[in-house]
Amino acid sequence: MKRRILDIICCPVCKGKFMLTEMEGNDTEIMEGLLTCTACKRVYPISSGIANLLPEDQR
Amino acid sequence: MDIDRTQIYFPSDDTYLLIKAARSEVKPADRVLEIGTGSGAVAKSVSEVTPDVLAVEINPHAAKYAHEVNGIEVIRGDLFDPICGEFDLVLFNAPYLPTDPEERIDDWLEYALDGGPTGREVVERFIHEAPPHLSTVGRILLLISSLTGIDDVLKICQTEALIALVVAEEKQEDGEILYVLRISRDLCSLCKT
Repeated sequence: MKRRILDIICCPVCKGKFMLTEMEGNDTEIMEGLLTCTACKRVYPISSGIANLLPEDQR
Repeated sequence: MDIDRTQIYFPSDDTYLLIKAARSEVKPADRVLEIGTGSGAVAKSVSEVTPDVLAVEINPHAAKYAHEVNGIEVIRGDLFDPICGEFDLVLFNAPYLPTDPEERIDDWLEYALDGGPTGREVVERFIHEAPPHLSTVGRILLLISSLTGIDDVLKICQTEALIALVVAEEKQEDGEILYVLRISRDLCSLCKT
């Protein structure tokens, strides 16, 4: 997931902004990490460079 | 997760028609969003014109293929649910086939095809959710078919104060006609209100 898209994605449930927890990445891209909604606190994984922004019961 | 290719919708006539329309529409400075990118073929083609392309895909096999094989910036999600930005061009090869509940095959490929009993279920949701994600000059290229009921789709656009024009069409051997609609805000109607 490219860093620049952080501003244009949001929590699919409440539309809140994300806080990024990065586990693996480089200057432009996040390979492994977590996106935590700053509003409802739901957590979404980033795995192999792809953020999974589906609600937990639809993954 | 290994990619299961049998679960991916690979480019077909509808894909190529949307690519053709997208290539004549896209401008180098456009911020592009493709909903339901599938294998990523359309996103890859417009990436040759603008570097700013993001794709959304619900199917994990297709998302992984689009990212790893076609180099597409993709997130897994359902239509506009995970998107809060504005875009200049939104592309969608919709699941447009009328499908009764008993005809449904409960797999990932179904998401690329199944338009519900009317064929318009996903199209309708897409059109209702699209306007906040369009920039002032934003336009949508939506691929549907004669099976989807084009007049009904045009009416749905009207309810959202959107103008829709057919910019590409192609008749299939079986008589089905594929259409690309170019949809944009009806700026005149905004002036009147």
